[in-house]
Amino acid sequence: MPEVRYVATLRELNDGGVDFILVGGLAAVLNGAPVNTFDVDIVHSRDPRNVHRLLKVLEQLDAVFRIQPERRLRPNASHASCAGRLNLMTRYGPLDVLGTIGKDLGFSELIPHSLELEIRPGLRVRVLDLDTLIAIKEELNGDKDRAVLPILRRILEEKRKRPN
Amino acid sequence: MPAEELSGLTDYSPDGVDLTLIRWMLSLTPAERLQVAEQSVNDILAMREWNARS
Repeated sequence: MPEVRYVATLRELNDGGVDFILVGGLAAVLNGAPVNTFDVDIVHSRDPRNVHRLLKVLEQLDAVFRIQPERRLRPNASHASCAGRLNLMTRYGPLDVLGTIGKDLGFSELIPHSLELEIRPGLRVRVLDLDTLIAIKEELNGDKDRAVLPILRRILEEKRKRPN
Repeated sequence: MPAEELSGLTDYSPDGVDLTLIRWMLSLTPAERLQVAEQSVNDILAMREWNARS
């Protein structure tokens, strides 16, 4: 298992000009959730030009499917153009590339529900907002989603109490 | 010290969420939150690896 380097992964995606929104556990962390997460989850634009840029970055990251790492199966344009989920291992740790989340919500549907955050000087990433994270987890209603929901709801309450 | 004396020193929501932890995370910048998460995951992985060896 390589050392997990979230920032390095996000920097590569950003520098490669990939249009994406950070979702999942890391989006929860950036919204203030005190939770642990092992992978970077992104929803990317499936525009062919963006898929091309994404694949270039995935190659730089030495990304292979996690299912059978010994076979070194690499994602291709067809994989990255569909609505499914690519569970990859990169040299900076696990990366999940998602065509959609929730009820078929893709990049363009999620853009209005995201915010841009600066995670290092000059490095800004688009992150799914807390309300949408909660709505999607409520919709999915899996054990893992239910476990984190009370935390996300309390963050929302605490944020509403705080002055802007 | 009886446990009751600590009651005013903790803050949990009715569903068991530690609100002090949430407030601490909210006091950090997004960059600092990411750093905390990255560091904690790497520490967990290092502990797992150490235990797998021993």
